[in-house]
Amino acid sequence: MPSEMITLQLGQCGNQIGFEFWKQLCIEHGISPEGILEEFASAGSDRKDVFFYQADDDHYIPRAVLLDLEPRVIHTIMNSPYAKLYNPENVYLSKHGGGAGNNWASGYAQGEKLNEEVFDIINREADGSDNLEGFVLCHSIAGGTGSGMGSYILEHLSDRFPKKLVQTYSVFPNLDEISDVVVQPYNSLLTLKRLTESADCVMVLDNTALNRIASDRLHIQNPSFAQINTLVSTIMSASTATLRYPSYMNNDLISLVAPLIPTPRLHFLMTGYTPLTADHELNTAPKIRKTTVLDVMQRLLQPKNMMVSLSPDRTNQHCYISILNIIQGEVDPSQVHKSLQRIRERKLASFIPWGPASIQVALSRRSPYVHASHKVSGLLLANHTNISSLFDRCLQQFDKLRKREAFLEVFRKEPMFKESLEEFDESRGVVDDLVQEYQAAATPDYVHWNPEQSNITKAKIYKETPCGCKVTFVVSIPKESGTKRKFNLENLS
Amino acid sequence: MIHDALLVLWDCSHGDVSSAEPVLYANEGDAEIYSRICSIAKSHHRIQNFIAATSFHSRKLQTASNIRNFGLYGQALSEGITEVLQSYKKALVKVEKLVIGNKDYTLTFVYSHVEKFQGLFNTINKIISTIKERRLSGCEILSLTHQNILNGNEMVHSAILRMFSCINNVFINQLCAWLLYGELKDPYEEFFIYRNKKDDLSETVLSTPSISNTCDKTLVTTLQQTSLDCGYNINPGMIPYFMPLSLAQEILFIGKTVILFGFDPRKVKRSNITLNSTLMPLHKLDYDSRRFTIWEEKEAEFHNKLQQLKEPEVFEVYNLRCVVREIKECVTKHLWTVAVEEAHLLHELRLMKDFYLLGRGELFLELLRLTAHMLDKPTTRTSTRDMNHAFQLAARAVFLSNSADIEKFSFELPYIKPIADATANSSLDDDSSVDGWSTIILKYDFKWPLHLLFAPEVLARYNDMFRLLLRIKKTQHDLHALWKTYKQTRRFAVCQLHNKLMFLMDNLQHYLQADVLESNFSRLMDAVNKTNDFEKLKAAHATFLADILSQSFLTTTTSERSEGGDSSGDGVETITNPVFVNIMDLLKLCDSFCSMSEFASDREAEDYYIKGYSDRFNKLVKQLTQLLVCLRDRACGAYLARLLMRLDYNRWLSAEAELTRSLTHMLRC
Repeated sequence: MPSEMITLQLGQCGNQIGFEFWKQLCIEHGISPEGILEEFASAGSDRKDVFFYQADDDHYIPRAVLLDLEPRVIHTIMNSPYAKLYNPENVYLSKHGGGAGNNWASGYAQGEKLNEEVFDIINREADGSDNLEGFVLCHSIAGGTGSGMGSYILEHLSDRFPKKLVQTYSVFPNLDEISDVVVQPYNSLLTLKRLTESADCVMVLDNTALNRIASDRLHIQNPSFAQINTLVSTIMSASTATLRYPSYMNNDLISLVAPLIPTPRLHFLMTGYTPLTADHELNTAPKIRKTTVLDVMQRLLQPKNMMVSLSPDRTNQHCYISILNIIQGEVDPSQVHKSLQRIRERKLASFIPWGPASIQVALSRRSPYVHASHKVSGLLLANHTNISSLFDRCLQQFDKLRKREAFLEVFRKEPMFKESLEEFDESRGVVDDLVQEYQAAATPDYVHWNPEQSNITKAKIYKETPCGCKVTFVVSIPKESGTKRKFNLENLS
Repeated sequence: MIHDALLVLWDCSHGDVSSAEPVLYANEGDAEIYSRICSIAKSHHRIQNFIAATSFHSRKLQTASNIRNFGLYGQALSEGITEVLQSYKKALVKVEKLVIGNKDYTLTFVYSHVEKFQGLFNTINKIISTIKERRLSGCEILSLTHQNILNGNEMVHSAILRMFSCINNVFINQLCAWLLYGELKDPYEEFFIYRNKKDDLSETVLSTPSISNTCDKTLVTTLQQTSLDCGYNINPGMIPYFMPLSLAQEILFIGKTVILFGFDPRKVKRSNITLNSTLMPLHKLDYDSRRFTIWEEKEAEFHNKLQQLKEPEVFEVYNLRCVVREIKECVTKHLWTVAVEEAHLLHELRLMKDFYLLGRGELFLELLRLTAHMLDKPTTRTSTRDMNHAFQLAARAVFLSNSADIEKFSFELPYIKPIADATANSSLDDDSSVDGWSTIILKYDFKWPLHLLFAPEVLARYNDMFRLLLRIKKTQHDLHALWKTYKQTRRFAVCQLHNKLMFLMDNLQHYLQADVLESNFSRLMDAVNKTNDFEKLKAAHATFLADILSQSFLTTTTSERSEGGDSSGDGVETITNPVFVNIMDLLKLCDSFCSMSEFASDREAEDYYIKGYSDRFNKLVKQLTQLLVCLRDRACGAYLARLLMRLDYNRWLSAEAELTRSLTHMLRC
């Protein structure tokens, strides 16, 4: 089977969303929790083999590798009805079992230690496919295992499989509430550097937005992990729909992501989904009746359906780099053109000024085995320059901690940070560059953007102005200059 | 003298009426009356001659000696006239009796009895002379007679009606045989349907990778006509004037379809077996039983209805049309059952979409992976075999190999023997025309009655579409493959150009697949689901194909000169669609860009090529937008506007090409 995908699930969060994802895939393809193809699904023309491999005639096994440093989540999976679904050889639990203690450095170090065992599993899995297209990595960027070990695996996946695509589903922490993981900003930033440099495509799943959607749109008071993860699995299954059902285009992952990512570093994608309804509301909620292509496309452009929380764009300078809509269900294909035209005329979406950009619409089938409560559903995959505000917030939180030099001792315990904390500054630089590039991409001058130019480290200079306000200057210093120059702050202000 | 007159009138003097003119007249003025009688006699004589020439015996004789004659219709006419003349002859006998009984009767008395026939004879003679002058035959005679029915003279009217009904008998019998059994009982080529003697095989159409050489308007009709051709056609001159062309076509269609059912391979096979194993009568019985199945016990009913039309009072075009419609309905229903239900037409249509129109994207992606290197090169003798092997492999890879549908499709790469004296540089010039991409043919093996829909011409057009889509998919695939390599190593300018090319290809594909193929296919499916008339389905399919071809810019436009009113249909100069040429140029540019890494080794060379490609890209895109202005009034301009709307979605392209306001406005509509 061409274009197979191997899914890697890392850490607590990664395994939880992975579990929901496989549950969803099993339902959509008519595969029982034990991996047996159901009677009614035997004649289906769907492509199960992208994500599953066939053990025998009617037995399907996910191409999934489950990795964790602590046993809790994996034990829960192994005690669920889906225990027999997975290949037990692909489930790897650290013998040490102590987890990474929400410490990126610990996760990274353990990843390094366990790398042979882990890559043995990955290599074996890769050998078992005819024409592997790439990897899907599910993890959270805030914890220890998913972020730390995930970073290590990301770095080495691109070394070992340079021709394969690496796509990640990365869960960003909820910034609205105080996290119990105090070093979360450190973890996030260190992971973001790897996501920028080693991944080909990052699907940003922002817990802030997911929680907001759960409470505002689905009217769930205190959304549980399971409810949030259902949202995530819906997105994951919809974004892979064109790969799993035969259609005329977007048959492989690269044809999905390449048009969305015109420049290699700007590969962080937002998702949006409509219609959103919770299970408990199905009978009471007012049914969304309007199901034309135009309605679906318009709803997808509304920020409230977006799974990433962006800072409000007050100056209205941000814009879309690209959009792909995957619409599932019964629609009239001739409406696509008209809808595109309407959106263009009403200027409902603003696009980059430096190159061609458009909304692409892929019509896909949906599973015949799932009773859909809505006639039409739509998924939006978008590359938007305002995603930089999310990284900016990460930077701010990082700076807050870093300025106070707080909680650094847990990192200093690990060999990587024993000598110096350079890694922090380097990661900060990479993420800051990314923010700059995203901001530049919103302007026409981006055409002259030179990535080599951006090889500069940024120093933050804190100075108290005479009036007592704190002013932050960002000064760019070319890397080549080696030594830090002294700046005359008087001139700068 | 009176007896002279009677004899003349009886046509005993063998034509030399004037020479036998008597000298003595009983009364003054008799000479005048006698000459009038003579003129009637002359008319009668002419009619008698005609009757003699067209009678059964003379027909036999003439057929034996191979002389062109009046055939069955002529004979029917002569019989009709003979019948009409009976009253004249009776009148003469009556007059003779009276004259013998009373010697006092004068010549005027005789004249008074025959005078009323003057009008009739004149009309008949007019008919006869027209037939002779214009050398009319068959249905033309029927038309002519029918035209003369309406006559103010009661007697003439009823007489012509009698004659007409005689000829009509022949006509109805032929019609009946044609409609119910598809048999053409027409030894003298008198019916308005004839059989093509030369059967030209149109298989050559399949192998020519040419672009459709028909202009937009006639495309639908061309695509529709090419099917159902079993050598029968309409002879327009022979269609009776009272019958509209559409009705004649319906009649032709019914007969053809009835013949077609006779070719049903399943039934033919069975009858062959009976032929071999048993005696002839049994075979005949089987033949009859087949006939019976088409009409489902309605045969007798239709037969009676047709026979009723022999009555001149019933014979009205309206009635004829009613019967024909009824029969046609029965035929199309049967055709529908056979083609749509038994041959799973809807399934086959989806297969056409899945394979010819690349609906099965993943299969062709895999196929391209296996064969792209092969199709880049000129075809060799083994290409066809290799291609089909790869096709099987690809099908196995996407788990389609066990499906019976795969078996129906196969590829052919026609091997063109390179000309021996072709020099190296000339083969370099036109190597694009002999590579696999432009010659590949996807063949489709369909079930029996579906050749009505998928005629060679239709499949050739599907192949045009297939080649374009495959080409685009390949280019798109190559560009996507480059994407991964740009991650770290490449510079921004390359990335930007790559991005533009990729954008162009992606949107071209989205336009073709979504706006053109999916939209039209869903329209076709709607039309198919709404009707249960095979003819309507066929028309819908032809419209579908014509639409996707024209919207994909695969049709050629006729040059201005032919539109200017030059009615010489043959001399129409066709030029390839300029949009298509432009798209092909862009495809070539993309292909060349993809292979840049092969010849641009160092950075400077790369810069040089990038600049060249960028310029070319800008030029081609600008050209494409300018074409919109030229094609403003044509249908193809509207489709180009649709494509450009996608390409210029964020108005970048139009800003770059510095379009005038009017053009940007056009994109909106």
